[in-house]
Amino acid sequence: MEMSRVDTSQYLSFDGHETITSLWADRCARYGDRVAHREKELGIWQAYSWRDYYDCARKIGRALMALGVKKGEPVLILAEDRREWLYIDLASASIGAIPAGVYTTDSAAQLAYLANDSGARVLFVENDEQLDKYLEARDRMEGIQKVVVMEREGLASFSDPKVMFLDELYAMGETEETREPGLFEEAIKAVRPEDPRMLIYTSGTTGPPKGAMITHRNMIFQMRSGSECLEFLESDNLLCFLPLCHVLERIVSVEAPIANGCIVNFAESPETVFDNLQEVSPDSFSGVPRIWEKIYSRVMILRSEAGPIGARAFDWALAVGHRYAQAENPGAGLRLAHAVADFTVLANLRRMLGLANARRVTSGAAPISPDLIHWFGALGVPLIEGYGMTETAGIATVNTVEDNRIGTVGTAIPGVEMRIDETGELLIGGPCVFGGYWNKPEKTAETMTEDGWLRTGDVGRIGNDGALTITGRLKDIIITAGGKNITPAEIESKLKFSPYVSDAVVIGDRRKYLTCLIMIDQENVEKFAQDRQIPFSDFASLTRAPEVRDLIGGVVAEANRQFAQVEQIKDFRLIDILLTAEDEELTPTMKLKRNFVNQRHAALIDEMY
Amino acid sequence: MTVLSTRNLETFYGAIMALRGVSIDVDQGEIVTILGANGAGKTTLMKTIAGLMDPEKGTIDFMGDQIAGLDPDRVVQKGIALVPEGREVFPYLTIEENLRLGAYTRRDSSADDLDLVYEYFPILKERRRQAAGFLSGGQQQMLAIGRGLMARPRLMMLDEPSLGLSPLLTQEIFGIIARLNAEQGVTMLLVEQNAHIALATAHKGYVLEMGRIVMAGSTEKLRASDDIQEFYLGRTGETQRDQKRWKRRKTWR
Repeated sequence: MEMSRVDTSQYLSFDGHETITSLWADRCARYGDRVAHREKELGIWQAYSWRDYYDCARKIGRALMALGVKKGEPVLILAEDRREWLYIDLASASIGAIPAGVYTTDSAAQLAYLANDSGARVLFVENDEQLDKYLEARDRMEGIQKVVVMEREGLASFSDPKVMFLDELYAMGETEETREPGLFEEAIKAVRPEDPRMLIYTSGTTGPPKGAMITHRNMIFQMRSGSECLEFLESDNLLCFLPLCHVLERIVSVEAPIANGCIVNFAESPETVFDNLQEVSPDSFSGVPRIWEKIYSRVMILRSEAGPIGARAFDWALAVGHRYAQAENPGAGLRLAHAVADFTVLANLRRMLGLANARRVTSGAAPISPDLIHWFGALGVPLIEGYGMTETAGIATVNTVEDNRIGTVGTAIPGVEMRIDETGELLIGGPCVFGGYWNKPEKTAETMTEDGWLRTGDVGRIGNDGALTITGRLKDIIITAGGKNITPAEIESKLKFSPYVSDAVVIGDRRKYLTCLIMIDQENVEKFAQDRQIPFSDFASLTRAPEVRDLIGGVVAEANRQFAQVEQIKDFRLIDILLTAEDEELTPTMKLKRNFVNQRHAALIDEMY
Repeated sequence: MTVLSTRNLETFYGAIMALRGVSIDVDQGEIVTILGANGAGKTTLMKTIAGLMDPEKGTIDFMGDQIAGLDPDRVVQKGIALVPEGREVFPYLTIEENLRLGAYTRRDSSADDLDLVYEYFPILKERRRQAAGFLSGGQQQMLAIGRGLMARPRLMMLDEPSLGLSPLLTQEIFGIIARLNAEQGVTMLLVEQNAHIALATAHKGYVLEMGRIVMAGSTEKLRASDDIQEFYLGRTGETQRDQKRWKRRKTWR
């Protein structure tokens, strides 16, 4: 039977609102002085109300209008997660402009590209460091008329006709509002559901980044369907730490808290996430696999340092937790054992990690190892995996805590339709499908089938129970010289389960056999070397140590055992430079980009063949 | 030939881990420099090698012998002299007495070495009967180096020889250090805050941060690194503004 895409003209609303901005204005009025955001200032958590949220956004919005920002015009935001990011986000969306985030790790050249591609005229930057990116490449982004800097530190004597500060912008907005009140509210009313709510630049593993337009309708749909499977409560505390430029964090830290009235706590910096997590102990938490892998390896290191008794107690408690999580109807003995294990070990561990209050934690944006989900389950942390992409406006499928089919990415959220085409590619339809790429109709056309389905580029299968399993990326499929089709993602995720492997890229397209480039986890491998008195000086010498190679060799051999002969890795190399988020090879979420890795480390790869 | 090699040294001050696994090699005739910010563990490394502190873990191999955990006097007898941070000369003894104390552990005659020290530091000869406390900072540093030389060490460890000295005097001291190395073949391990002069004098260097080596290599390689240039040599980035407050992230490559 031929299915067609769900009719997009169908009326969609959340709590009577068809746009995120009108929903937001309603919530701000309703909650008033209640806490909306918390942020650390000089080390102390400070609270900011929904009234602050609205008032600050209105000032920014009015000032943007005075600066001549028009409806449908992108506004760029280059900052770490902070409340002003959200103020600017909602201010822009309220006047019909399109907020677009820029990663703080992007270079000046990348910023210039985004400025030109979006055609934005106003750019918000966090501080002098980010401002320098603009100043460095300003002659390559002449479209930018105004740069607004949030922090004044280090810029006391700086002046430039095109640059102003956020407090000046607030003052300007306030004057506008006194002069002619009500324009902001009128602008909110003029926003249509089909208008773009935000522009999300995809990370661009192939070719330059593309701006995906997410409409208000997309997001209202996410709120409606999401609320049926992902519960958010008004009393919830959340932690915002992933880049807000990413659609997942936008849903979790901006849209969902607006819809459900939760409190968003901002992490101080990407480096302090684990401390902040402990302080906030959020009620639900969304992370990328790397976060969960890090937590896992932190716990395993704690275990190895706990001494023989501690380690035995930990192993026992985890084994009990595992059996308890697996059991349909745990018997009295198991229930008792679990109560003891939980009281003595597991509950303390959860409290220490900051996951004690978490009703639900989710993982998305990249595949996560099922073993890891089981492991968290044994710990008593309900980790569920979901699936989605920028072009599906975030979530398309998700597991639930009650029905967690580990190994799958869950069933489609209500209203989303899926099918697998003859090449094995997953197609998605429904009100979650995005509004197209900004100024790139030919790219949009490539992503859509003729009858309006979204080509995800992912290969997957749908089980009889409707649960989706993703096996890899269509373009990542390796066809060996022997003609065998292999999806590298499965092998890679097995490798990454080792605390010593940070990321891995399997190679072998049109080659005789499979090989692998491995990025080791610096902290854990250094600890391994130090514990065994393996001499090393810097990172490169660490990767050259024969014992470290043997260690990783063991990891590879272990992973190999779970795969058929042709899918086994015959050789591997360690990447001997410590990559950071600024490097081209890594996405901002610290995943290796296959194409860049293949180019940059071609010499290492050739060595293996 | 490798004179000194440490492997995975871990040293603690009570519960605080100051060295987190340090492995370095010093070859015969080389000047090796250790760079690092305050509190990185440079002096701790020196003290651990000299036997003033005992490592919790790891080995120190000196000319084929294990010296980790030996008492300082035994380490000196083995042929390692430490020129400590802040000179530490004996102020009430004369200069010559100070120098002779440097040769205390030796059984052979040290008369030649005294002449050698006076040859490199003529000012010390001039004032050899005076109490060392009357010397200026630079002269005290010369005395401390001279005292170290008197032990006729196989390895000389210099802990911040430029401390408290004027730039001109620093240059003079480093000139002598380079000459001692070139003419007398003295192998040296040099800890220095002044990265400019240390990198100009040494052959090889290690960068120590938070008790770990983050970078190693020839001084040419270190000098070329962006991180060294920005964080140790104080190069200011070429920005459009005249000042730059933020620091780039270190990558150590």
